[in-house]
Amino acid sequence: MHDKNPAFETVQLADLESMAQAERDALDFGVIGLRPDTRADVYNATEARMSGVDPSQVQGAPFFSTIGQCMNNFMVAQRFEDEADLDEIVPFVLTLRMRPTRVRLRLLQARDVERRYILVAR
Amino acid sequence: MSEEDDLLSFMYACPFGLIKFDAAGVIGMINPHAMKHLLPLAGAQGVENFFDAMEKYAPELRNVADAFAESNGTICDGHRIVVDLVQKRQEGRPQVLACSLVKRGPNQLIATLNDISAQVAQEHRVRQADTWFSALIDEINDHALLTVNGNGTVLSANPSFVRQTGYRVEQVIGQPVETILCAANNGEHTPFAIADQLCLATRDGWHLFEGWEKRADGEDYWCQRLLVARAEQGDEDDPTFSMVLRDVPEPGEKTNDLIKLLTRDYLTGATNRMQFQKILKREHTRYLKHGQPLSLIILDLDDFKTLNDVHGHPAGDVMLKQVARIGADCTPANAVFARLGGEEFALLVPDCPVRAAIELAETLRREIAGLEITVPSGQIKVTASLGCAEMSETDGSTDDLIAIADRRLYEAKHAGRDRVAPVAA
Repeated sequence: MHDKNPAFETVQLADLESMAQAERDALDFGVIGLRPDTRADVYNATEARMSGVDPSQVQGAPFFSTIGQCMNNFMVAQRFEDEADLDEIVPFVLTLRMRPTRVRLRLLQARDVERRYILVAR
Repeated sequence: MSEEDDLLSFMYACPFGLIKFDAAGVIGMINPHAMKHLLPLAGAQGVENFFDAMEKYAPELRNVADAFAESNGTICDGHRIVVDLVQKRQEGRPQVLACSLVKRGPNQLIATLNDISAQVAQEHRVRQADTWFSALIDEINDHALLTVNGNGTVLSANPSFVRQTGYRVEQVIGQPVETILCAANNGEHTPFAIADQLCLATRDGWHLFEGWEKRADGEDYWCQRLLVARAEQGDEDDPTFSMVLRDVPEPGEKTNDLIKLLTRDYLTGATNRMQFQKILKREHTRYLKHGQPLSLIILDLDDFKTLNDVHGHPAGDVMLKQVARIGADCTPANAVFARLGGEEFALLVPDCPVRAAIELAETLRREIAGLEITVPSGQIKVTASLGCAEMSETDGSTDDLIAIADRRLYEAKHAGRDRVAPVAA
């Protein structure tokens, strides 16, 4: 069983994996889940509210070459390529609704879990 | 999906950077593609302000935007920004970005950003091929032609050479080609030694140089000098080269302006980042061939951001110009002083051991510390920290030369600024 109120800093990869969509939607931080080919298959309601993009627009699309272009550099995308196990919080600036917005990103990846996650806290 | 959502998705997915900001540079809107490029460039400067974010790599953007007097129009179109001085291409990291600036109103600007690294590499290849083919196609017999060996000794000369230069064949055979070329004073243009050209032609197959040459009667003429490794090489250790000399109309003011525009920093007139990269590459090739010491000094003004914040950018700009003037005055004849960006300068000194480079750096430091300029808000002074490195200390690459000089620059900063590292023996 996972924590009832998982926090941005402490939630575990396994917790995210075992959550139902409604549970992920209820979190107070953004959750983006990517397949190994970088197509997004998780895009929670919190993230959709912040970005103003409907999840249906994101899911199934290669994330780093569409909506997540700003993370398509050595600071984010490259790290998922380079580090099999990754759990780090990085300060970042997203362009939510085209406004520069300071956020913290938590990059989560484990070699035994297919899906990798980007968590977004404003 | 609503029209607004549609528009938003379009902006998110746009494969081209778009940024909207005010006259001071404060960003109002920015799309993800622009952020992808801006964030790695901005570093500690943050990405709230476009000009601050670009300061380290393209400080001229602030100046050209400030100097643009019209209330609207295109300020610059496809302006090239060299992002990475590193020669080794790193996967996924752009080397050259193109930036266009458009003024929409008195306090409204739009910038576009895109990665043109692949295009620049392609242009370079096309230019090489162009030179090669035009030399072959233009009736080559009509050009002055010399055959030279790997040491630069003339083996033969054709009748056109005699006509064009006024030298007799027997005057030049067996002579070093330097004695008949490169005699002219090239003024602002860097003269290019035959040994360097032979070195590049050996590596690349050919090399083209343009500059003043002197005829036997002392008259100067503008000359394109193409050196090509000859295809029918018998002995690999003793290569021969064809040297084609074309007497072409001297470049007009326009070309000179263009050369200046492309090779000089907009504000200070120092050699710009892109040109510095080219010269670094050339001097490195020369170093590999001859092994003479090649030193690099990297100079960074101390607390310059504070100076800009307190006294304003115009005051900072005056200071940068003064520093560039000192740099130019202290630069030996064969060396190059460049503005790498922001308040960072470099001095590349061929044929100079590190001890001499440290002395030179010390002179620069002293001169800069002695600067005092008057601005409306009072007297301002500035100091600089400098790091020196020499090629023999490296793994043989210019990347390592830059890395070592950079590291020493930070040692100088940490040791209290206004100093040179390493310390003179």
